[in-house]
Amino acid sequence: MTYYALLFVAGFAGSFHCIGMCGGFACALGPDRRGAGATSLRHVLYNTGRLSTYCFLGGLSGALGQVICSSVAPGSQRAAPAFSASLDVGQRALAVLAGLLMIFMALSFFGLRGAHRPSGFGGSTLVVSLRSLLGRHGFAAPLALGVLNGFLPCPLVYAMIAQAASTFDVLSGCLSMAAFGLGTFPAMLVMGGVGRLLAPSWRQRGVRLAGSFILALGLVTLSRGVMPMMAGHGLHHLWHVA
Amino acid sequence: MTPSPDALCRNCLLRVGRRGFMRTVNGEGCEFCCYGCCIAHQVKSGSGDASEAAWFLVRLGAGSFLSMNIMLFSLLMYSGAFIGADRRVLPTIHLLLWGLATPAVLILGQPFLHETWSQARRGRLTSAALIVLGSSAAYAYSTLAVFQGGGHLYFDTASMVLMLFTLGRYLEAAGRARASRDLAPLLAAESELATVLEGGQERRRPVREVRAGMLIRVRPGERIPIDGLIVEGRSHCDDSVITGESRQIAKAVGATVLAGSMNLDGPLLIRSSVSGDASRWAQICRSVREALRQSSRTQRIADRLVGAFVPIVLAMAGMTLVYWAQRQPLDQALLTALSVLVVACPCAVGLAAPMAHSLGIGQLARHGCVVRNPAALEALAGARLIAFDKTGTLTLGRPQLVDIASDGVAEEEVVARLAALERHSEHGLARAIAQAARARGLEAMAAEDVRVLPGRGLHGVVHGEAVAAGSAALMRELGWVLPPALLERAEVMAANGHSVVFVGWRENAPAGRVRAALSFDDTPLPEARAAVAALRGLGLQVMMLSGDHAGAAARVAATVGIDEWQAGLLPEAKREALDRYRARHGAVAMVGDGLNDGPGLAWADVGIAVGSGTDLARETADLVLPVDGLWLLPWVVGRARAVRSIILTNLAWAFGYNLVAVTCAVLGLLQPILAAAVMAGSSLLVVLNSLRLERLPGPCRPSVPELAAAVRRESAPGPTAQGQSPALELLKAES
Repeated sequence: MTYYALLFVAGFAGSFHCIGMCGGFACALGPDRRGAGATSLRHVLYNTGRLSTYCFLGGLSGALGQVICSSVAPGSQRAAPAFSASLDVGQRALAVLAGLLMIFMALSFFGLRGAHRPSGFGGSTLVVSLRSLLGRHGFAAPLALGVLNGFLPCPLVYAMIAQAASTFDVLSGCLSMAAFGLGTFPAMLVMGGVGRLLAPSWRQRGVRLAGSFILALGLVTLSRGVMPMMAGHGLHHLWHVA
Repeated sequence: MTPSPDALCRNCLLRVGRRGFMRTVNGEGCEFCCYGCCIAHQVKSGSGDASEAAWFLVRLGAGSFLSMNIMLFSLLMYSGAFIGADRRVLPTIHLLLWGLATPAVLILGQPFLHETWSQARRGRLTSAALIVLGSSAAYAYSTLAVFQGGGHLYFDTASMVLMLFTLGRYLEAAGRARASRDLAPLLAAESELATVLEGGQERRRPVREVRAGMLIRVRPGERIPIDGLIVEGRSHCDDSVITGESRQIAKAVGATVLAGSMNLDGPLLIRSSVSGDASRWAQICRSVREALRQSSRTQRIADRLVGAFVPIVLAMAGMTLVYWAQRQPLDQALLTALSVLVVACPCAVGLAAPMAHSLGIGQLARHGCVVRNPAALEALAGARLIAFDKTGTLTLGRPQLVDIASDGVAEEEVVARLAALERHSEHGLARAIAQAARARGLEAMAAEDVRVLPGRGLHGVVHGEAVAAGSAALMRELGWVLPPALLERAEVMAANGHSVVFVGWRENAPAGRVRAALSFDDTPLPEARAAVAALRGLGLQVMMLSGDHAGAAARVAATVGIDEWQAGLLPEAKREALDRYRARHGAVAMVGDGLNDGPGLAWADVGIAVGSGTDLARETADLVLPVDGLWLLPWVVGRARAVRSIILTNLAWAFGYNLVAVTCAVLGLLQPILAAAVMAGSSLLVVLNSLRLERLPGPCRPSVPELAAAVRRESAPGPTAQGQSPALELLKAES
């Protein structure tokens, strides 16, 4: 549980980063003519859409981690002790990869890498397309906006996907991303309601905080891959120890 | 509604082909070549509340939401999350999945179903049919399983296949639209608006309504819409569309501007000199549109294959199903057959050629090179031999006075008298003589009673003296004295390939006397040598076919560096020569000026006209280069080859991929969802591969000192002489 709580907090802190791009969407989604209830529903739907994309990506990457590990060590589900060593190889390699990816992403939050912009015609076309959804009424549009928004290139999401992949399990991957996604809810809902009230300095602090969380998560994930004694124990155990 | 197959898709500007359909976007009827382009266009052009674009995205988003949840639950089921104590929730989960899948399949599958249906009514099967069949089979089987209990569910397959194909088509169409970015202004030229100044008021009017003599205002950064003269303002212009060369040229009041060039930095007021649709720019644009409508042989073969593909795949999927059903449970066999259906979708094959063609045609057009049809590009890429006409192609096409052999009179006296006579002539040499007279600062003398003796020369009276100019035959006819020394020198001149004119006058004698022999010659173009060397560097055999006499041909050939030439060829003989070379070398390209050698250009596999001033529409050449555009030829050949190699890699990829993937699918080694993902990626890869054409460098004209240096180096003997021209190195880097 501690683990998911931490991801939630990482999402919450990271959502100050989201305000940059996704916050723009939340703002522009704006109020509904039919009153406060409809407005709230609009924003909840938007965020649900986003959340479902995150969950999907988390579940998928968890499954991918699982597939990769079991293909490195076939039959690992019913692994006899003899196989556990080779199972560890696959898991550890993935953990190292995920950890490095997260550290790399975290560094970008501290400004050590160039500013991230949506790149390639996939990303930029998606951003352009999403604008046409903003003004539309009805409840399917905000949901669709959220779903597609979830696919926008974002270093924070990439880092979390890497984390989800390193859980080697569909459910854990899905829940990791869900915890993270729920963490971004408060800020995004507030953005939808009150607009850009937060001072840039606060955003900067939030981004740094999120970066620190991701850095810590990355280091722990990396250490799972590198340190032999921790290898077999799994993430939950580790976080309970911590 | 079905558009004609030759119409161009609104999004990607490729031919819509037989699969094309019409849809109304923002109240305007638009043709589209595929579902992907329809989405991409709506997304791009859509704005505001009522736009269909938003509606498309809503459906895509809602469909994705549903299918992602289906996928998530399915993943959880596969990973064994509902085992043991949680087992009793399984029926509920199944029902939930069915509830999610039904709208998802309907929403995402509707466009594919629509395409299948409208094509089926015309008796055609398209790849959409495969997708519809595959996903509906998966959906129907799973629905039965939910309500009859037992068996696996494949709702995730049904919805994810549809979602991945939709996504793949959208991304592909977005990529194609990006490729057509450069082409769009060319096609829009006819409907472009010009700011016309009428009675002190500015009005926006379509360019085709602009007549000669109208005043047009052009702001900085705008494209100049008409040919005309600047009456106000100064600016820099980029004429690359007309000259092929991207260069800033300063223009001020009185300068001519050309339609299609970019006005870079100052506002201009222009008086149009022709009507809007008569400019070369407008002609290029019409020609590009026409070229895009044509298809090459490669493309026709690919289209036919795609047409034959679908029934074959259907048959293969059927056989796969029958085979596996005897060895495995039905659902497994069904899944394997489904993979075959999904993975064999031949979209990439159909896309391999047209996109590369349109990119190539667009890029050439931006540098003033007009391609009649995509087949010409392919033929040029495959040509092994390139034959040049001499006059006007390798040479300036304008004779110049190069030597005067006189019999004891001053050169000035000769030129002055001759100039006076030739003012009454329209012969090609007359201009050269006038130029020579100007160069010597001679004042024009008056001539009277001038008679033109066709094929022989001129006769007239200057300062009361009879003067004649023309061939030796004319002088003999007049009974004038022709000194043997002069005749001898004239024979040497003629042997060098020069045209010779004798000039004589009477001057207090009963019979006239020939006083001088003038030799005229056509100068080779400065860039011809570099272009020939660069073409040879590209592995082409270069030769010259001239109608002129051997002496002139030999000299020009030596100057521009051509070893193999034939002279004295009549048009018919040129055609025979081309036939002979074609038999020996394969495809042959012929370069001419488009005026004198129309039959030769039409007879070659690729006819290339350089600097044709005639109406483009009446041009017989397959490829028309701009005026003075010979230097572009190596770049054009390089570009044609790049287009061909992209097409070949595309086809190799598309076929190789399909072969491997279908084999895997038939053997049951490929999951349908994975197959759909790889399939969508395959056509995206073809798009990205074609977009590589965008990154190739544009042409770069070697400057005059460089050219001179190249000529010097290459005329110096030595093994390293070839291959050092800057133009050549540039091309090597490009190819």
